[in-house]
Amino acid sequence: MITGGVRVLNAGLPIIVEGVPSVDVVQLDWRPPAFGDPDLARLAVTLDDDATHAANRIALAAVHAARPRLLAVRPAREVVPGLADGRILLHAGPPIEAKRMCGPMRGALVGAALFEGWAQSPEEAEALLDAGVIAVDPCHHHSAVGPMAGVLAPSMPVFVVEDEGRRAYASLNEGLGRVLRFGAFDQEVLTRLGWMRDVLGPVLDGALQASGPVDVTSLVAQALTMGDEGHNRNVAATSLLARRLAPAIAPLPHALPVLEFLASNDHFALNVSMAAAKLALDNAIGIEGSTLVTAMARNGVEFGLRVAGTGEQWFTAPVGPADGLFFPGYGIEDANPDLGDSAITETLGIGGFAMAAAPAITRFVGGTPDDALEITRSMRRITLAPHPAYPLPPLNFSGAPSGIDVLKVLDTGVLPVINTGIAHRQAGVGQIGAGIVTAPPEVFGQAVRALHARRSAR
Amino acid sequence: MNAPDNTALGARTMRRLYRDSVALMALASTVEKREGVLRVGAVMATPANLEILDRSGMKPADLVAAPDDLLLVVRAVDEATVQEALDAAEAGLTSTDSGAPRTERAPQTVLEGLAVGDRPTVAAVSTPGTYAPIVVEQALREGLHVFCFSDNVGLDDEVRLKQMAVERRLLLMGPDCGTAVIDRVPLGFANVLAPGPVAIVAASGTGAQEIACLLDRAGVGVSQLVGVGGRDLSAAVGGLMTNLALDLVAEDETTEVVVVVSKPPAEEVAQQLLARLAALGKPVVACLLGLEDTEAPVVVRGTLEGGAAAAAEMLGRSVEIDEASVAAARDAGTTGGLGSVVGLYTGGTLAAEAKIILTRAGVAAEILDLGDDQYTAGRPHPMIDPAARTEHLVRAGARPDVGVVLVDLVLGHGASHDPGTPLADAVREARATAAADGRELLVLGSVCGTAADPQGIDGQRRILRDAGVGLFPSNAAAARHAAALVNDQRTAQEIA
Repeated sequence: MITGGVRVLNAGLPIIVEGVPSVDVVQLDWRPPAFGDPDLARLAVTLDDDATHAANRIALAAVHAARPRLLAVRPAREVVPGLADGRILLHAGPPIEAKRMCGPMRGALVGAALFEGWAQSPEEAEALLDAGVIAVDPCHHHSAVGPMAGVLAPSMPVFVVEDEGRRAYASLNEGLGRVLRFGAFDQEVLTRLGWMRDVLGPVLDGALQASGPVDVTSLVAQALTMGDEGHNRNVAATSLLARRLAPAIAPLPHALPVLEFLASNDHFALNVSMAAAKLALDNAIGIEGSTLVTAMARNGVEFGLRVAGTGEQWFTAPVGPADGLFFPGYGIEDANPDLGDSAITETLGIGGFAMAAAPAITRFVGGTPDDALEITRSMRRITLAPHPAYPLPPLNFSGAPSGIDVLKVLDTGVLPVINTGIAHRQAGVGQIGAGIVTAPPEVFGQAVRALHARRSAR
Repeated sequence: MNAPDNTALGARTMRRLYRDSVALMALASTVEKREGVLRVGAVMATPANLEILDRSGMKPADLVAAPDDLLLVVRAVDEATVQEALDAAEAGLTSTDSGAPRTERAPQTVLEGLAVGDRPTVAAVSTPGTYAPIVVEQALREGLHVFCFSDNVGLDDEVRLKQMAVERRLLLMGPDCGTAVIDRVPLGFANVLAPGPVAIVAASGTGAQEIACLLDRAGVGVSQLVGVGGRDLSAAVGGLMTNLALDLVAEDETTEVVVVVSKPPAEEVAQQLLARLAALGKPVVACLLGLEDTEAPVVVRGTLEGGAAAAAEMLGRSVEIDEASVAAARDAGTTGGLGSVVGLYTGGTLAAEAKIILTRAGVAAEILDLGDDQYTAGRPHPMIDPAARTEHLVRAGARPDVGVVLVDLVLGHGASHDPGTPLADAVREARATAAADGRELLVLGSVCGTAADPQGIDGQRRILRDAGVGLFPSNAAAARHAAALVNDQRTAQEIA
């Protein structure tokens, strides 16, 4: 009577299939979906149909089709939309008023205001920020991304990443220690920013113009086979980028300090791959009905999520500090709640999702290379397909799990894993550790409710 | 960061030992979890690291270390704790891990389950009722037939999901479906049945089991047993799944005779059902509990035993409720039994059949379906956990007004591995309580099972007989005898 014979998928009590030959039983380790909220689970199931699957295929194909190239390094005001005129600073994460920001982000904005010469003292800078005289806006609203505080000012140089006439931007990585992205704004920090503006940016741009654009997809793919996961470990990608640019840098003025800077900064390439990930994921923004996640970002107070089918809307929830390992002398009580746009890497399928590629850093999550494989496998459960350009050697060259589907997150209860640096809660102290966070479950519920409401309105 | 004054700081330098920074941070994190330990530093003693330690008050004043030395520093509540922590940290530098791979994860969701091996064709759902509609909908979307054991599913969900199933020509057995045998594969509470010509479409679980077992005794096998859930023939559901099941068994080549078993359907549904059955193209018995037996346009029977007998007869066989075994059971318990009848059932339809037979005989009785929600709240169904019936039976033994207790015992897959023993123990206790009070309590019943059931039907029967249970070949026969006993008493009293 049943075409193909009776083969049973058992959701629940094993006793129900006691009489079925065990070879014909698939026993589920079933758990309540949607984090135990049955009403939400119903909405998710309603959305999980052919129309959504078709929209997701289109969205993911658009993301995977992107081939971002590092084209240039230019002052933000020249290239980043909305930064040409007026006093505006960009920051990481979903929108937030200056008054509600965390210490490191306020510190970074103060530093940027001083750097731009808009204020003569930190107090004046804070007053201008609180009064709205200096406007603040998320990087994500300007085709840009920034790690940690993610603060971008008009005169700072940015990486320009391009594909098919579309562009995305990211700040240049300052290195570790006392740096603006952790909220430091003393003279050392401002001096370095000035050098990056006046020397590093122009030299890198000159080198790129001389050598031609860098294929970022290929750079990241190669780094993944060399022990990077593309978020917390970037030493391979940085080395590859430096090697690629070095011959073009060498003939230029200031070549030696620029090369020394690249040699001393293991994370320099992170910002390039972040911009490339942003460019790829923005291809899916606004694809009607798609449940694909297009951005995850944190502002140190809230976690923000964007989904293709709801365009530029943010779904937000409070964010906590990362669980991880701390540098000597620091502990969880010193940690700032998680921050930065760098989770754009996980959104694309690298970073925490490609943990299998980076056995060297798995101890940050208290684990072994086996745990790294397990993390990547568990991310497969919430993603739409392997990324064809990012094969992972430890998983038999299957691609990095790519394209988070909010419906799969609700169905499995598995939350996206994000590798992250940990900032000190006081502005300017800097990075005090590294570890792992998971996205808060609430944002996925909000996204499904919004997608459902949007479909009902159609 | 200030160093508190009332704490102890200690350091240990490991000459020319190298470990990478991540390993050292992991070690520090582990040792920091020890009782009384406030902070641990484990670093290579480079100038940069010593400066970091100094800034956080973790650098001992008298420290001597070279950049290629490994330095362990501990701040703790007292000196002893510091030394223990340093010992632990040092031990941790040389510990190793077996590196055994993790075990494979079992699939968790419907979609994950479908990706495992050959594609399943049927989903069995016994999750909490709140979530059952979600799982059922996922399964139907994926083109799976569904056996839904879960109860507490809303009627609106049942209608919606059954409409969805019918559109896809998929069976949705349930919700609250206890039994099915599809293409010889048993699901839920199911007896081990020989294959044969009779298809049973059932809105009642133990009803279907009783019919199948009576047919089995008559040497008639079952082709399909399709449960549809107890509400399928209600006005709201309108027999959505009964109709689809009838389509399927009508097409099923192994099926010669069809039995539909249910409580009496809603009036408008009954008319449609009988019209549908009359036109099915195969001989049909409508076993609709409590209805009058009729022969046309469709054979209708009001008891399970009657339904089984009619189906067997269509195939030239007979369900022998043979006089010898009835007489033997009667002999086992004709003395005593003075008083009213109480039924303590684990099978809902068996309880209903007993009630119908007693009512037809003019005997009022207290028949309890112990599988009903009001008795199962917070505990397993009595077919899974037979102990649930014990307290009711013992209480009946203490009641002077009760003379006869009717019981059932359901065997098969899903049922308890030895339901007979706890029932027998309870019967002994109840009869002893009554005897101590100078009464004899009669316990009458039947075993719903087949010779092939895993519990061993002969052994289960023996256990009950040894406890003094009068065992009848069918539930109906036991109920008839209980009714006869009461009516004989009445007659005797009237004569007296």
